[in-house]
Amino acid sequence: MTDTAVAASTKRITYDDAVVRGFILFSVVWGIVGMLVGLLCAFQLAFPALNFDTSFLTFGRIRPLHTNAVIFALVGNMLFAGIYHSSQRLLKTRMASDLLSRVHLYGWQLIILGAALTLPLGITQSKEYAELEWWLDIMVALVWVAFAINYFWTLAVRNEKNLYVAIWFYIATIITIAVLYIVNNLAVPLDGMKSYGVFAGAQDALTQWWYGHNAVAFFLTTPILGIMYYYLPKAAERPVYSYRLSIIHFWALIFIYIWAGPHHLLYTALPDWAQSLGMLFSLMLWAPSWGGMLNGLLTLRGAWHKVRTDPVLKFFVAGVTFYGMATFEGPLLSIKSVSALGHYTDWIIGHVHGGALGWNGFMAAGLFYWLVPKLYGTKLHSSKLADVHFWLGTFGILIYIVSMWISGVTHGLMWRAENADGALEYRDWATIIDAVIPMYHLRALGGALYIVGWILMMWNLWKTVAGKKPVDAEAEVTVLEKVDAPSSVRLIFSRPVLLSFLGLVATLFLWRNNVIVAAVALAALVFICVLAWLRYQSAQREEFRWHDYIERRPLAFSVLVGLAIIAGGVVELLPGLLMTREVPMTDAGKVAVKPYTPLELEGRDVYVSEGCYVCHSQMIRPFLSEKKRYGDPSRIEESMWDHPFQWGSKRTGPDLARVGQKYGATWHYEHMLDPRRMSEGSIMPKYPWLLTDKIDPAKTKHKLKIMRALGVPYEKEEFELAEQKYREQAGVIVKELTDYGVDVDEDSKLVALIGYLLRLGKNEKPSTTIAAPAATNGERKGD
Amino acid sequence: MTSADMTNSDKLRAHEFDGIREFDNHLPKWWLWTLYLAVLFSVGYWVHYEVLRSGLSSRERFALAVQADDERIAKKLGPISNETLLELTKLESRVAAGKAEFVKTCAQCHTANGGGGIGPNLTDKYWLHGNTPMEIKKTIEDGVVEKGMAAWKDVLGPKLVTDLVAYILTIKNTNVPGGKEPQGEAYDN
Repeated sequence: MTDTAVAASTKRITYDDAVVRGFILFSVVWGIVGMLVGLLCAFQLAFPALNFDTSFLTFGRIRPLHTNAVIFALVGNMLFAGIYHSSQRLLKTRMASDLLSRVHLYGWQLIILGAALTLPLGITQSKEYAELEWWLDIMVALVWVAFAINYFWTLAVRNEKNLYVAIWFYIATIITIAVLYIVNNLAVPLDGMKSYGVFAGAQDALTQWWYGHNAVAFFLTTPILGIMYYYLPKAAERPVYSYRLSIIHFWALIFIYIWAGPHHLLYTALPDWAQSLGMLFSLMLWAPSWGGMLNGLLTLRGAWHKVRTDPVLKFFVAGVTFYGMATFEGPLLSIKSVSALGHYTDWIIGHVHGGALGWNGFMAAGLFYWLVPKLYGTKLHSSKLADVHFWLGTFGILIYIVSMWISGVTHGLMWRAENADGALEYRDWATIIDAVIPMYHLRALGGALYIVGWILMMWNLWKTVAGKKPVDAEAEVTVLEKVDAPSSVRLIFSRPVLLSFLGLVATLFLWRNNVIVAAVALAALVFICVLAWLRYQSAQREEFRWHDYIERRPLAFSVLVGLAIIAGGVVELLPGLLMTREVPMTDAGKVAVKPYTPLELEGRDVYVSEGCYVCHSQMIRPFLSEKKRYGDPSRIEESMWDHPFQWGSKRTGPDLARVGQKYGATWHYEHMLDPRRMSEGSIMPKYPWLLTDKIDPAKTKHKLKIMRALGVPYEKEEFELAEQKYREQAGVIVKELTDYGVDVDEDSKLVALIGYLLRLGKNEKPSTTIAAPAATNGERKGD
Repeated sequence: MTSADMTNSDKLRAHEFDGIREFDNHLPKWWLWTLYLAVLFSVGYWVHYEVLRSGLSSRERFALAVQADDERIAKKLGPISNETLLELTKLESRVAAGKAEFVKTCAQCHTANGGGGIGPNLTDKYWLHGNTPMEIKKTIEDGVVEKGMAAWKDVLGPKLVTDLVAYILTIKNTNVPGGKEPQGEAYDN
């Protein structure tokens, strides 16, 4: 390297380590809370009595609390600690603004407190990992903006010429999470507590899983990879294995990850092309994910003997290995035929816990054991105890994921098993649940072991810091005065970027159904690849020089990251958003899907609020076995008025898309008050409070107004009639229940919920349906 | 270790970040190939299913499966009419299968002896939706959704539905004690 910046002076700086200590403390404390809630959830599935027949302790409300706490509180605070600590050292400067750092630290905890208070009260948007209501979303956005300003400001005043690979991952995290979170949470508030999302049905599903999948990518993966790139070589005292592997896997990872979201929606009513994109990009994601694992594990060459004795390295090695396992399992589960078996089952629960407990939890433990002693200028209290934590955790994870594999595959196979007469072998849901209850016990045991390990860590860290003074590290840094690199604009419009862009454009012409265009596009793509390859070969040093340059221009780097992550979202989301929602008609010229009546709309909000989607899907897949169990496959228009969609992602209970065709009001009445009365062996909680909790039908018109503003075809005249219509429809249900011999208040939540459940699946078939190819003479319908 | 590792020079890059150094080793060959193969497979899959459309879509595959299943079962059961269903009541095994299913599934609403609970009494002479074998079969298969009777055709499959009809034919007009009050029209047969 000949290009050294002219060093004019040096100065002494003190790092802001107090904010790091704060984040670690909150991560450890919220972490135990989040995991204990998870343990309660695990026990509730094995022993439904543990729902205690109270609203705020019921599974449907506290499972979202568990996931939010672990993702945003445990991992969130941990990754912020890692980012603030390592970035200051990698950039050789204190964070630009202590005030913004504090806004971030305390603002984030306020949000978590808000989540902990609202979710058990049933205040939720019902979008997974985006359950928080609109005013908490605004707080998240504001705190994130404070974080981003502080971070980019720090980049601007740095005293290090190049950005290290860890910083690349942090930048990708900050930019992408902002984009994902804001788009997925666009909503219109109803009142201080509730809002309706602007997207509906399939659009909403696609947006949600673009968010959900990439929250895993850019909140639980990229920042932790950044942390790995700093702390693993530090702890191993070995150089990173390969700089060029860092470059390749970073750009491949962030570009490809974004596209893979629809793998959460395989065999749903989402158009096939989007499902195929989701599957294919998941397969292509395998190598870039493993690139990170390889660079981590190969960095340990020559240091493996240390792994035996150093608990920090143990946690890192196991964490990275679990990352490798989860990122192999992910693409595997994204293959359509594998998803057909594994989706909606506990296999997915096992998969995410391999990632959360193994990758996130162990990387957190390794980070804390390494960092906390340094932040107090001391040594870890007990290495032995950390070892015990490691083994408890490892066995806990293994028990957890193996029991969930068994349970998941068992369910997948039982759901589809048919007898010789072509009927379902296991029609009774309780039989299916019964088969895996032992696995639910084992899972709870695995989780409990993991938690014991975490508690040992808390004690160990406490003994480490008790009575010690916090130490804020100081450093002598050379002031960076000039960065010699082409301007950001020149770098953005440079040849590697333009070639990549041309390649992407050529790929887009593979879009649909036109063979000639596709052939030309494919030829162009091959040509561009060859061109890029030749250039890379002939000027290899120079190309690397180009990356060296963009590492010196945070603006150019950030813009390129932004372009890389926006491409997949635009291609997948835009077609759906640009399409006008046309009301499908039946052959007889009737409207196929009518908007919900006022009672059904209120009932739907009860369904959302109780978190029914946590255990019930509303999406019948096009399989013979699902037709036999639930009825015809769900069609895309059936959820077109659903703000938000309720397709669900897990079937602890059966699918409800067509439950309205199955049971009457009295059955639902009995079943909601005590599920075991109607279905022996059911593990569903009781919902007694729905009898006493009331809805105010006079206010329903406001909901209709918002729905109309969002595009649901209610007539204005319906607003004033809403209450009357509500009472008419509720009256029919109340009368049926009175005839049956029970008295129910017309305004109770239960009546509204029953109204909604009775409606599910009662739409008319529109005129276009897809027939078997043989029956249509080989003529094929588009999707 | 792969060949790529053996040719690696472990040459350190000049730069250092807070004490962290970097090698610039070659990418493992097998790793590169997993990436290349995944990309090639993806292009091929996309062209097959989405450009040439030479592969069936998920819904088309489903329609074919339904067709094949319907044909297979229709062949197995042969034609069904009032007469064939009445014949079934003489087959003990089919009636027993129907009874077992009744206790398991129908008893929730019609009680185990058919005397009725949430749903009507099936052992009296009053019927809401007809009492011929084919009418009973239709009620079971398509349900009476507005009254809370589910459609059981897909769930039970054709064989169990006919078993149930056979069993119900054997309990009708037996007037079990404690049955629900009459609903619907009286039939004399």
